[in-house]
Amino acid sequence: MQTGWTLTCHDLGKRFGERWVFRHIELTLSQGTVLVVRGSNGSGKSTLIRILAGLLTPTEGRVQMALAGQAFAERRAWLGWSATDGALYRELTAREHLRWWATLRDTDATDTELMAHLERFELGARADDLLRTYSTGMRQRMRLALATWGRPPLLLLDEPDAGLDARGMLLLERVIDEHRTFGIVVLATNRNESLAWGDLTLEMGA
Amino acid sequence: MREVGAVWRKDLLQEWRLRQGLVASALMGVVTVVAVGFASLGASLSEGLTAGLFWVAILFGMFPALARGFIVEEEAGTADLLRVGARPSAVFWGKWLFHFTLYLLLTLILVPLYGLVVAPLKGHLGGWLLLWLFGGFCLVSVLTLCGALVARTTTRGALLAVLTFPLLLPLLLILIGGTKTALNGLFPADSLQGVFGYTLTLSAGASWVFERVWAD
Repeated sequence: MQTGWTLTCHDLGKRFGERWVFRHIELTLSQGTVLVVRGSNGSGKSTLIRILAGLLTPTEGRVQMALAGQAFAERRAWLGWSATDGALYRELTAREHLRWWATLRDTDATDTELMAHLERFELGARADDLLRTYSTGMRQRMRLALATWGRPPLLLLDEPDAGLDARGMLLLERVIDEHRTFGIVVLATNRNESLAWGDLTLEMGA
Repeated sequence: MREVGAVWRKDLLQEWRLRQGLVASALMGVVTVVAVGFASLGASLSEGLTAGLFWVAILFGMFPALARGFIVEEEAGTADLLRVGARPSAVFWGKWLFHFTLYLLLTLILVPLYGLVVAPLKGHLGGWLLLWLFGGFCLVSVLTLCGALVARTTTRGALLAVLTFPLLLPLLLILIGGTKTALNGLFPADSLQGVFGYTLTLSAGASWVFERVWAD
């Protein structure tokens, strides 16, 4: 009998036009696992993450998230997602953005809880500034703050280390370590420091 | 409902800070009404012409803002955030509610202006009110759906026109007929039945179609 969360990819493949980005990916990740997805540009790292997030439909195969063997169809319940090219609403402040996200995720959040979460990502001091005034690194932190809100059991991070300084990298490492204690992390990256955080590595385009 | 409200509030807040949709719509609508008023200066318009020009002015005014709701999300790259975070039905009805709010604000400007500049909007007030409400409901549903359908395509402008034409034309004809009846001081019962039926069918269909086009 399985306990905890399990992410399974069965015979996963994606084709754009005539070109197969990848095929026959078989994966079973259990709770507490960090999977690092690496590969050259165009090898399909982001495509895989987008399929896991439900933003792309696989050409073949399927993805399943299960708790104690019981499959969960609705992704919103178990998914946290962050991508470097994922945009934020630039005309909202960090606090407004997080509150909006919390409402979408059906979580009742007090202002204190929102601020505590932003503080965790060192955004508290700028919580009431519009996101369009944020630097690249701060926007990356904001994406992480949204992705981790509500402690989703599956955290999908597509190059979350892009644009982060040394302090940001420490923060990211801490986030991943914390998440490992209750969920699964899939991290697409090519940065050497981040590669070491994984328990498993999937080499795309190999 | 919380999700719908969240999408609606987020769009309102952005609109308040950017003022792109409403300003563009109001400008287009006001220019249309003033141009029609100038062209018909001194002439006595028939009820049919008054009704037709009225809905054309409203439609012209609404088009710039309402069709852009989803296109802006796709262009800015924020649509993925909505896809991951919210149910498709909540996204559709949240956007719909935002567009309907814009419709209400726009008509608050355009209806009195039309009455002043083009022709007095006399007749059956209750009929007018119901046509304005249900007609707006339906117009907003068509434009929200068509905006969502074309948002991910590259030939948006042309496709939007092609898609909206067959959906809008029957509605406009019913609304114009009803408005003409109301201008004559009669209750537009037949037209309201038509608009109400169209609204029900389209709203249910739009939500269903949207759930299928919103995903990849």
